[in-house]
Amino acid sequence: MDTVSRVKSSRRRILGTLVGIAASATLAGCAQNAPQDTWEPKGPNAEMIHDLDNLVFPIAYVVGIIVLGLALYIFWKFKDRGQEIPVQGHGKPYMEITLTVVPALILSVVGVFTFRTIFDLAETQDTEIVINVTGQQWWWEYDYPVQPEHGINQPIVTSGQLVFPAGTKVLLRETSRDVIHSYWIPALNGKKDAVPGRVHLLRLEANEPGLYAGQCAEFCGLSHANMRMEAIALSKEDFAKWVANQQKAYVPPAAGTVEAEGEAVYIAQCARCHQVNGLKDAQGKPIISAPDEYVYSGAAPNLTALMTRNTFAGAMFDLVNEKCRADVWGAPSEKFGEAYLKGVTEDCLNQKDLRAWLRNAPEMKPMYAEPNLLGPSDGKYRGMPYLALTEDDIDKLVAYLLTLK
Amino acid sequence: MFTTGSKYFIGLTALSVVATVLYLFLVNPSDLGALALVGLITSAATLSGVSIFTRDSDTETVEQAVDASAGPASASFWPIVVALGAAMVLLGLATEPVVFVLGIAVLVGGGVEWMVQGWSDRASANAAYNSEVRAKVLGGIEYPGLSAVLTIIVAFLFSRIFLAVSKDAATIFFMLVAAVIFALGFVFAARTDLRKKALSVVLPVSIALLAIAGVVSALSGERKQLVDAAREDHFAIEHRECGEEASKYYDKHANNRVPLRKAVIATITVENNEVSAKMIGLDRKVDTITIPRMNSTTVLFRNLDDSERRLVVNLGSAKVGDTDVVEPLGTCTQLTGKGQEQVLTLTIPKPATAEEPFSFTVPGANGEIKLVVP
Amino acid sequence: MAIIERPDTATVPAVVTPSQAFGVIKRPVASSGWREWLFTVDHKKIGIMYGAVALFFFIVGGVEALLIRLQLAAPDGRILSADQYNQMFTMHGTTMVFLFGMPMAAAFANYFLPLQIGARDVAFPRLNALSLWLLVVGGLILNASWFLGGAADGGWFMYAPNSGPVFSPSNGVDYWVLGLQVAGLASLIGSINLIVTVLNMRAPGMTLMKMPIFTWMILVVQFLLVFSLPVITVALVLLMFQRSYGATFFDVSQGADPLLWQHLFWIFGHPEVYVLILPAFGIISEVLPTFSRKPLFGYPFVVFSGAAIGLVGFGVWAHHMFASGLGPVSVAVFSIATMAIAIPTGVKVFNWLLTMWGGKIWYTTAMKFAIGLVTLFTIGGLSGVTHSVAPSDTQQTDTYYIVAHFHYVLFGGMVFGLFSGFYYWWPKVFGKMLNEKLGSWNFWLMVIGMNMTFGPMHILGLQGQPRRMYVWTEARAGEGFFNLGFWNLIASIGSFILAAGVLFFLINIVHTAKKGKVAPADPWDARTLEWITTNPPKPHNFDRIPVVHHLDEFFHRKYAEDTATHTMKRYATAEEVIKAEEDAADAHIHLPSPSYWPLVLALGIGVLCMGVVYGVPVMVVGAAILVFSVFGWVLEPSTADDSEIDPPSVDGSTKEIAPIG
Repeated sequence: MDTVSRVKSSRRRILGTLVGIAASATLAGCAQNAPQDTWEPKGPNAEMIHDLDNLVFPIAYVVGIIVLGLALYIFWKFKDRGQEIPVQGHGKPYMEITLTVVPALILSVVGVFTFRTIFDLAETQDTEIVINVTGQQWWWEYDYPVQPEHGINQPIVTSGQLVFPAGTKVLLRETSRDVIHSYWIPALNGKKDAVPGRVHLLRLEANEPGLYAGQCAEFCGLSHANMRMEAIALSKEDFAKWVANQQKAYVPPAAGTVEAEGEAVYIAQCARCHQVNGLKDAQGKPIISAPDEYVYSGAAPNLTALMTRNTFAGAMFDLVNEKCRADVWGAPSEKFGEAYLKGVTEDCLNQKDLRAWLRNAPEMKPMYAEPNLLGPSDGKYRGMPYLALTEDDIDKLVAYLLTLK
Repeated sequence: MFTTGSKYFIGLTALSVVATVLYLFLVNPSDLGALALVGLITSAATLSGVSIFTRDSDTETVEQAVDASAGPASASFWPIVVALGAAMVLLGLATEPVVFVLGIAVLVGGGVEWMVQGWSDRASANAAYNSEVRAKVLGGIEYPGLSAVLTIIVAFLFSRIFLAVSKDAATIFFMLVAAVIFALGFVFAARTDLRKKALSVVLPVSIALLAIAGVVSALSGERKQLVDAAREDHFAIEHRECGEEASKYYDKHANNRVPLRKAVIATITVENNEVSAKMIGLDRKVDTITIPRMNSTTVLFRNLDDSERRLVVNLGSAKVGDTDVVEPLGTCTQLTGKGQEQVLTLTIPKPATAEEPFSFTVPGANGEIKLVVP
Repeated sequence: MAIIERPDTATVPAVVTPSQAFGVIKRPVASSGWREWLFTVDHKKIGIMYGAVALFFFIVGGVEALLIRLQLAAPDGRILSADQYNQMFTMHGTTMVFLFGMPMAAAFANYFLPLQIGARDVAFPRLNALSLWLLVVGGLILNASWFLGGAADGGWFMYAPNSGPVFSPSNGVDYWVLGLQVAGLASLIGSINLIVTVLNMRAPGMTLMKMPIFTWMILVVQFLLVFSLPVITVALVLLMFQRSYGATFFDVSQGADPLLWQHLFWIFGHPEVYVLILPAFGIISEVLPTFSRKPLFGYPFVVFSGAAIGLVGFGVWAHHMFASGLGPVSVAVFSIATMAIAIPTGVKVFNWLLTMWGGKIWYTTAMKFAIGLVTLFTIGGLSGVTHSVAPSDTQQTDTYYIVAHFHYVLFGGMVFGLFSGFYYWWPKVFGKMLNEKLGSWNFWLMVIGMNMTFGPMHILGLQGQPRRMYVWTEARAGEGFFNLGFWNLIASIGSFILAAGVLFFLINIVHTAKKGKVAPADPWDARTLEWITTNPPKPHNFDRIPVVHHLDEFFHRKYAEDTATHTMKRYATAEEVIKAEEDAADAHIHLPSPSYWPLVLALGIGVLCMGVVYGVPVMVVGAAILVFSVFGWVLEPSTADDSEIDPPSVDGSTKEIAPIG
């Protein structure tokens, strides 16, 4: 028996660590600053989930502290201090049964509340506005079905930022064009996968206007980490303004300006994939993009009113520079709509990233845009390819894109 | 160390290696022929190995004691099989390639069996030992081979029955068959004493029944729907008539059950001659359906009227090829009866325009649902 | 019995038994050098090799984990590219589950299960060797992809359709599919082998309810494997046909539903979790009683809760899919079922605590790891309860909170249990004691490192950091105490402390091999059958098959209750107990001879698999080797010839014990 040296146990270190974890996990709910904090609900659906957290986490802590406390007591109390070898008892059935029944009772309480919330969150009867959300590698497309009661008389297609009215019950209809993605705005609701070939529903409602960050949560390939989203809640009046702006007629740039040259570059280089509603060719015929011929998912972001959004490339990059962005993120909720609807003005534009993106997109974001990887996808890209634009073209394009607001 | 049997196979192996190498470099490396030759190497090498360590490894001493050829050769039906194979090969050359391939298979199989038998007959003077040697060499090929052939035959017979009877009858029939097999298996597992006798009765009877049913089914031909489908090609685009009247081909044998509900984005209903639509997640009627562009989208059509109806989607028009002929685009479901459903799965690559709006209509019923594709 | 008794030569016709078996068909007899290991069918040697392979892959998987943590230590990490990172986390998960967790459990099972039930080998010794070599081949195929165009990059869960040929164009997923099929074959063969062994080869007197608890847990695990592996095999075959032969099982444009893969994967994947954790439970259920000097509290409850976990484990798979768009009814049902499985798991924790209650606890390193499991697993179990609540889970799933949870369960649970087993059984296997001082370093660094690495992940997850992202960005990190930057850094530092702990274990192994103390017969005052033999055990395990009367047979041969004082009194030393067995040794113990064929057969399967990637000719060669080795296997003599291995006894008095190689 004395063949092994006995090492003094340092139980306090275990205790300290455990308490630390428990405490930090509890306190995590109080943090103010992480934009994707799951314990800071900003809408009724997320609040429902959080109410459950508030039930189950304390139970887990209490049970954990009791069990671990008991464990530490046993570790200390029954240490070998030279006592006799105990009687070889094999257990006490009544105690076993108690210890089985008590957790079962606790869990059945949790179960009842869980059950109710699951069905509440699946409710769709009270929907006020429907928005289609379509995932593809590696960006989200939002399209607003025609809903005259919200002033949507022709479909609006946008990407990067989901704009919706605050205090309104929104229903997202999610699907995907290629692999499985997952739509997740932690402050508004839990996540729901967007599965190709299926339509999944997700309730969303924000209490107040503001910007709510999210991130694709289902691993969706190479640039999964870069597939972000931002949900923008506007007051009902601001939302009506936004809707009206999205539907307004296209105004071509005046002939002879650098913007008009930019439009020509756009038509030559970009319009085959990126739709701009109302854009017409030299014969006056509307230009309809055909991304299905070039991109594997069959879609590319619609750039109509691009400059009303704050992000591009799957919300990976900001379209506004840091200062202007801080104005939007930091705006109090009553001023938020005003700040957001300003859109991107020339002095706010994030020239650096936008130009770099136009110069060589695959270098900015990992995508399968290299020709040697296109075999399995029948030669179609899975992201924006390198276009070999000259600096001059880029200047013109940026000038033109700035008119899309 | 190497005696007659193994030398023959080693020679064959070497020869096939040479043939393969030549074939790969001179003829066509990616051809099935290479596969066949590699297969030959495999089998020859296997047989050489096997022959080395079965007969040749330990019978030398026996052979010295007993003249191997002293024993009488056992009766053999392999010559007949080989002859049959040769006949099939010749016949196949003249008629069907299938017969030719089968002939080759019979020829090779019979040849191998013949060779191994001849060779095992001379292994020793002990007939029991000789047959054991034979079984050791070929058992590992014979049993899987035979069971594969049997499985193919059984599957083929079953498939004939499947294709002959109606869908519902087939479902019920095969559930019953499966239940009977399960029950019998259970009984045999429980009553070991029954096993041998009962199996010797049940198996031949069931095989005979299956064979009779299969042959009868094969002779009676496939069920009407399949025959029609093959003959009239009624699912082909040119037969897709989207009018109010039943189409001669397209509307035959509609299947009015829809299992895939998770994919449905909207439901279009016709009731009291009025068309109405609901979108998933919205609990009220809509007159416009918006679906994402270039994404496979499923719309469900439900007929609640007495008369048969179909759902038609109009998707504008397009030029035919390089000509100036403009044809309307669109498609439709088959006619569906009262209380039944059909789905339409659409992937629309181009947006609807003001000049050419898209829509859903039901011929013979009032109302139209606008289809918007951004 | 596996032990093949030497046939009576008089009854066998001379012509049937080859007097001079030729070449390869001769059974190898070498009892030294590399042949001893390559061709062995001895469950102990196979167990050791399983352990070595698993430990190697533990290090491989660990290095992958360190690279992942390095990449994530700071925002916008540049250590790995997106592609490399995706390969890294895919292979980390795959390696740790299939090439470390399962094989290490198999190592313990192989070595100790026959010893614990008083058998001389497993039921099918050559199949046992085949399992090992298939595992090695599977591991090689999986990891060969690193050097052949990139490893699998779809995550260890490999969701369709992202795993399809378009979305994952490199051959990595092909290797993954093939490697897992081969490794799965290994586990399936092994599980059938162990089930047959336990059910048929227990020592006289050992009823099922007198079976050591470790053996019980292994038995439950083998049943889980038998029922769950076919499901993943089906899924893998479907995926293989989609990738390599143009099938469209998961091709949405052909009408497939991608959720099919998820159901198939998790019907396997959830029982798999219990496959990983139950062996560790079994190990500490041996260690805790030994060092508490008390029998396991509520033995039948622990057995039945293990079985219940196994059974219910098949009914909870969809809790991995709460966000995947199942209807509310399915979600509710699986949510409740998941809560239900917490109950038998809780029973186990209580039983361990009550085993120690009133005991006489001896804090060896093995014991420390065991109580480490009890505490850390409790934390992991409780965080598990929080995501059985389906709505909460929709916030937590696919975030670092999940990563924290399952690392507490699998690292705090499985790995600590396995390390407890290393320290407990090392003297049994190698005859030398692992150094306790280095062991202490090993333990404390691992405890600290583990909590520093995975504790902060609770925060990261609740702060909304998703898993499987190759970079995280400052813009989403937040500020203040809970900012992602600080806790990611802490986690990365912790991972290196953890690695240092493991390094101490490796140092301990080397140290012990060089100048470790020779182990006494019964270093821990142990309780079960495996200790009624020498350290390390003789090739035939037991000189006499022990007869069992008690649950803790060995303990009751050493101790008896003093009826007057109601305390346990020792009346025999371990040496005396072992001596008694030796004196009554069985004559004519025969062990199965080594064989070449398991190794050749496994290689054949490996080549066959490569054929899926490299074309039909390669496949044909693999099939040829396969067919050839099956023939060899079937045709080889049941034992090596007497004249080659066993000098005939001269006067009949010496015990004939066939040396095995």
